[in-house]
Amino acid sequence: MKSRLTIIAALTSIPLFLTGCSTGGSDEGSIKLEFQTGRLASDAIQEKLVSLAKSYEETHKGVSIDVIPATQTYEADMKVRLAANDMPDMWGTHGWSLLRYSEFLEPLNNRSWAKDMNPALDTAMKNEKGEFFALPVDTDVSGILYNADVLKANSIDPTSIDTISDFEAAAKTLKSAGITPITSSGKDNWFAGNLTDWLAPGAFTDTELASMSKGTFQSEPYTTVLQKIADWKKDGFFNADYSAATTDDIATALATGKTAFVFMQNNLVTNALTFNPDAKLGYMPVPAINGSSKYLIGGEGLAAFGVAKSSPDKDAALDFIDFLAEPANESALATAAAGIPGLTTATTDLAGLTSSYDEFVASDNYPLVPYFDRVYLPNGMWNTVVSTTDSIISGQANPKDAVSQVQKDFASLYGQNK
Amino acid sequence: MATSPRTQKSWRINLLYLPAIILFAIFTVYPLINGANLSLTNWNGYSADRSFVGLDNYLRLFTDEVFRTSLINTFIYGFGSTLIQQILGLALAVALDRALRGRNVARAIIYLPVLVSPVVMGTMYYLLFNFNNGAFNDIVVALGGERIAWLGDSGSAIAIIVTVNSLQFVGVSMIIYLAGLQSIPGELYEASTLDGATGWKQFRAITVPMLQPAFATSIVLNLIGGLKLFDIIKVLTGGGPGYSTNSVSTLIGQTYFENQSAGYASAMGIALFFIIAVFTLLLNTALNRRRLDLS
Amino acid sequence: MITTKTPIRNAIIGVGLVIVIGMQLLPFYVALTTSLKPKTDLSSQWVFPFGNIYWENFATAIGDGNILRAIANSAIVTIGSTLLICLLGALAAYPLARRNTTGNKLVLLSIVGLIMVPPLSILVPLYTMLTQMGAVNTYWGTILVMTASQLPLSIFLYTAFMRGLPLSVEEAATVDGASTIQLLFRVVFPMLKPVTATVMILTSVTVWNEYALSVFILRSPEMRTIAPSIGAFFSTQNSNLGAAAAAALIAVVPVLIIYLALQRYFIKGMVAGSEK
Repeated sequence: MKSRLTIIAALTSIPLFLTGCSTGGSDEGSIKLEFQTGRLASDAIQEKLVSLAKSYEETHKGVSIDVIPATQTYEADMKVRLAANDMPDMWGTHGWSLLRYSEFLEPLNNRSWAKDMNPALDTAMKNEKGEFFALPVDTDVSGILYNADVLKANSIDPTSIDTISDFEAAAKTLKSAGITPITSSGKDNWFAGNLTDWLAPGAFTDTELASMSKGTFQSEPYTTVLQKIADWKKDGFFNADYSAATTDDIATALATGKTAFVFMQNNLVTNALTFNPDAKLGYMPVPAINGSSKYLIGGEGLAAFGVAKSSPDKDAALDFIDFLAEPANESALATAAAGIPGLTTATTDLAGLTSSYDEFVASDNYPLVPYFDRVYLPNGMWNTVVSTTDSIISGQANPKDAVSQVQKDFASLYGQNK
Repeated sequence: MATSPRTQKSWRINLLYLPAIILFAIFTVYPLINGANLSLTNWNGYSADRSFVGLDNYLRLFTDEVFRTSLINTFIYGFGSTLIQQILGLALAVALDRALRGRNVARAIIYLPVLVSPVVMGTMYYLLFNFNNGAFNDIVVALGGERIAWLGDSGSAIAIIVTVNSLQFVGVSMIIYLAGLQSIPGELYEASTLDGATGWKQFRAITVPMLQPAFATSIVLNLIGGLKLFDIIKVLTGGGPGYSTNSVSTLIGQTYFENQSAGYASAMGIALFFIIAVFTLLLNTALNRRRLDLS
Repeated sequence: MITTKTPIRNAIIGVGLVIVIGMQLLPFYVALTTSLKPKTDLSSQWVFPFGNIYWENFATAIGDGNILRAIANSAIVTIGSTLLICLLGALAAYPLARRNTTGNKLVLLSIVGLIMVPPLSILVPLYTMLTQMGAVNTYWGTILVMTASQLPLSIFLYTAFMRGLPLSVEEAATVDGASTIQLLFRVVFPMLKPVTATVMILTSVTVWNEYALSVFILRSPEMRTIAPSIGAFFSTQNSNLGAAAAAALIAVVPVLIIYLALQRYFIKGMVAGSEK
């Protein structure tokens, strides 16, 4: 009887022990590359990547590329896989090739196309040794998005909004005309945080920024930013559906002229045009709160792709990245991203945004500043930036309390990252 | 329950729980201990770097207002939903225990949301509460009102989360109480009717005491569900406005992945585990001494 | 039961029931109207698109969303886990119910404590271990993880139930010379049917709908279970709510059919589960 009990215990334990013994086999002779693009399935860049991978496979027998679109929780998925040392061979770095992923990525500065990288990307993507870790599809240059028809109908000229009071005067005019001046959202992660991220560079002096980088939080200029947002809230500049608006809602509002301004990257335009293909949209530099020159914000684009340092098929993966970097392919991808190409060898169609590009970017009159949170706040602060800004707009906190929350997280994350 | 010496089993029958213990050791305890180790570090959640920071993360919990708010919310979600589920579940059980046409259909409909993933349930309610095109605001507008930002205020958002969770799982309490009601011998009611007791009096004198074991099961199940609430909050409010509707579980998610403070998030997880374990055990002991002597 | 039957009371109860039933059906109705309209249709959610039904969302859910495959995946994981949860739970509960030593009380206490482990606290160490085992994207990996997560509840319910069973039957069998194994399979297990129904009801639905861990463990598109597949519509189709609603409605059909078929046993099982 004793032995039977033992047998039962053992039998029911077998599946548990089996776990230790099984290992997945792989086909010899063929290379299978996993490519996590970080782009959504219906996205234009994703579709382009799928077709490029297909044509690459045709000329490279024995290589198959699994082009996998992002899930809802792409960033968390990637973090879990990095932590488990289970990385895909290639993945999309969505703005973080240097600050988050460089530890795991193969440097690409020796590739033949490296010299063609758009110099505007240097500060965002290169480390002090001049290394960079991803092939940039596009260069991100953003300002405040506007609906040109709405501004025109209210006699507002975006090129002459130079100061923050010009901007506020325009907002008042729009409000009295029954148009929502600024549309944002507490539901979608990006929009609320962007307000702070867009305004902050114009509130800090260079000295203040330098001490932020050294780990000393500057609460005074940060309070100025949140106070400005609180004032705008009080003046009724924000949309009534602030707490619930989704990206689609905001894109629709911008495209149909229900709102005039959105603080968002230019990719919203592609989305907006699906709701109203005739909309005239543009972007303008951000006026500085402290009265210095208005500026544009830029950095690593929407799409950039790196190769895992630890990939067993690193050479194959690098070869595929080189293939994507060929001018024709890079141009096709940049066009899908509706952005300025990441390589100077490529050309692109900027859709409806050409006039803004010519006016504000090509003219080179306005400084291009980096994303405030990525450069001056420690890695991991974005969530704090979003939640504290959201608590101001939704009336859950006053600027002083919100800033002290930011300061606390700044201190703990700065310590953690050093 | 007293065990007579004759049936006191030999230690060898303990072998029967060995498979379960092995499974827990591999898939729960080992990762949990690893997680507890992380709580003593400042790990960012993905990098190879991490350093030991002692109990710093735990000390930080005491001064963190966001954590405190989330802990309070967790208890509101847990106890609020449990309370509503008991009252509504019992009422439904009593109503649907009677001979009623269509009662099986009614029971099935009330149980239906239990069968749906909370992520989906949350999304369906998100549609209802949507500002621009939501079904509820359509009614408000039709009645001549201004659209309401249902989820824009922490108070109403918390109330909505509690209600949605309660409605989704009220079917579980209802079924447990129905079962309890059916196990009460009919003679008890007949006898008391002969004694002149009716309606409410019978309910208090017979139904409630006889349902005591059902209360225990239902309360414990609902409480665990409410205290661990995650998906519905994530879908309905994402923890906002600000930080105001986070539960500790959603705050852990944010802290871990978005704030990149895996060490601190692990400390929250361990703290939550102990807080809930202690509460549930106290409650279980209080409710259920007769039934499962754990202490 | 409650004996007074006045028409007024019945009317109040009736109205109350109708309200609750209406509230429970409302989200499903809205999901239905949403799933039968194109994304660009901005008519009220209350309006049912009679004569103008748009089936495209269902096609998307089945085609791009691969929801039928997801249902099959969920079925495999749920059946496998539920069997293990019941078997291992019943085996483990027997010594915990019948050998009341301090050690066993502590074991039970610790097991019940495991119910409270938040999934996110173990996610990263668990995932790391599963990758090393080669268990990512496998059914058995998910089944074992799901079993481990639901087993504490199962052991808790089985133990409670076994303690309520009369000892006399087992004693009689022991006197007749039955071994422990014979005792278990011939005497004890047959008495466990009602509580087994309860355990199955409670745990299988949880496993069927599990999201937090399965989304990581079964991550390749062809291995995905239901909840992550529906979740994918909020991103991969650029928040395609119509398709998400359609997928959710398709996914509820199999469970609903099983529920309706088993409704009687559901309640019987619960009776047993909540007795003593």
